[in-house]
Amino acid sequence: MAHIGSLKEKPVITGVGCTKFGSVLTTPEIKGLTFQELACEAAFEAIDEAGIDPKEIDAFYIGNMVSHISHLYSHNTQMADWLGLQLKPSIHFATACSTTNTGVGLAAMGVASGKFRNVLVLGCEILSSEPTDDPIKRKAVDPGTLWYWTDFGVDQAYAYHHAYDIATAYGALPTLGYAKKYGVPMDKMDDVMCAVHRAVRIHSAANKKAFVQTTLEQEARKAGFKDIYEFWKSRKNPFLAWPVRVKSALNTVDGASAYIISSKKEAKGYFKKEPVSVEGFHWTSSNYPWYGRDPTDWDLDRTAFQTAMKMAKIKPKDIDYLDVHDCMQIYQLILSEQAGYFKKGEAWKAFLEGRTLYKGDKPMNTAGGRHGKGHAFAASAGAEIYEAVKQMRGEAKGRQIKDEPETSVVHNHGYGMHTAVTVLKR
Amino acid sequence: MMERMVEKFYKSLAKGKIYGVKCKKCKHFIFPPKAGCEKCGAHKMEWKLISGNGKLLFFSSGNLPPLKFAKYHPYAYGAIELKEGPVFFTQIEGLDVKSVEAIEKQNKKMPMKVKAKVKKMAGMNIVVFKVVK
Repeated sequence: MAHIGSLKEKPVITGVGCTKFGSVLTTPEIKGLTFQELACEAAFEAIDEAGIDPKEIDAFYIGNMVSHISHLYSHNTQMADWLGLQLKPSIHFATACSTTNTGVGLAAMGVASGKFRNVLVLGCEILSSEPTDDPIKRKAVDPGTLWYWTDFGVDQAYAYHHAYDIATAYGALPTLGYAKKYGVPMDKMDDVMCAVHRAVRIHSAANKKAFVQTTLEQEARKAGFKDIYEFWKSRKNPFLAWPVRVKSALNTVDGASAYIISSKKEAKGYFKKEPVSVEGFHWTSSNYPWYGRDPTDWDLDRTAFQTAMKMAKIKPKDIDYLDVHDCMQIYQLILSEQAGYFKKGEAWKAFLEGRTLYKGDKPMNTAGGRHGKGHAFAASAGAEIYEAVKQMRGEAKGRQIKDEPETSVVHNHGYGMHTAVTVLKR
Repeated sequence: MMERMVEKFYKSLAKGKIYGVKCKKCKHFIFPPKAGCEKCGAHKMEWKLISGNGKLLFFSSGNLPPLKFAKYHPYAYGAIELKEGPVFFTQIEGLDVKSVEAIEKQNKKMPMKVKAKVKKMAGMNIVVFKVVK
């Protein structure tokens, strides 16, 4: 059992910010923004919403994963004046795709220690394109190159050179493992994955900041299909690695997210709304492979969920809202069971019944996940913290959970592989 | 000085030898060789040849392999449980990956006996596994 630990006092999240997720080459809301400007947009939303005087922010932590595309090192020094936080303590940090989930715990420790009163955490990632020698001219990055750089996150001594195949290792085998373990026939499993995707799209279509703005029904109709299951199994949705179809995987996008973590006492002085409290968190790391004989039962995730929940003194039955990492949508099933949100072997039925929708009794991933909202590596987890906070405050317009969640658990995988779990309470 | 473990592993492959390491303290077997023990945390290791025997647990074939493996696409990639304990992922020879029907049919036969071999892939000697008929 991991050491659980505790904070001397529980810090709170006040202001949150998030940009539209899309492409700085084509998406109107963020078109033409540089890394600095995109990061500022999320940070200023958080600062303005919080109503905090920037002079009171004692430190900022900025997350970014693929430095090759950003053309940046020392992001924190280059952002200090842009953010209006010149001469403040700052760090660039990263745990890959879980970065801005990890940032909650990091900042909470900084505040609970008494060193900082208020900390701004932000994440920014541009994956569509890289700057040229001219900072306002960008060139598109092709998927092969993007993944060449991304895979620097995977065991470069051995595994990567042994015919590494992420779609199979991270998607296909866990899906096969789940179906085999619980006796779900493969054709039925395909229906389940369609139901998971339907929920992804209902949520992203209701979220203006999400990359994909249409439901699965709308896309199917446009393609001439009356039935979404028929559309799902058609040539329009080929296999990425059997049994995983293309629509069960992430969309890489550009975006930024931010939040402010303060002591309770400080928050009272500037924040007019009810802040959300950081109750618990835990992180685990492992080199490849991420699982052994059972692709659905990872030590990484089990340990992180259990330890974060023990730190927060909550049980699985206390979770009102769950967000899990879904670069591959099979993890909505595997991780909701690992968190205890559903019983082992029960999640697939819950998805077929629509129980995880915002209007269902077990809401999950209401921002649209990594396909619908889109995946901007170091910024995505912060977008999920943003979503959890908005849901808890009753501000998730168009996809609001009826009874605002009191306890939320947010999980992320950071390639490859870091698990971060954070427990929030209002 | 730290032992050059990665170099020893790959240079041994050229001689047809596939090494793992065994933790001197808790006897946990580690493959491929690493400096620290994932089980007990100790860092004194003993080099051991692997038997090469294993069981294929699951496999599939991805349509987006890294650039360096693009010319081998489609290839079978799977999880092997070595006789010595560790689970290792690599290319599997002797499987049909031309259709999803074939991949599905063969996955019903798991676990399948496989044997390790050294193969040159993308300019390097690596360890792959072959189905034992």
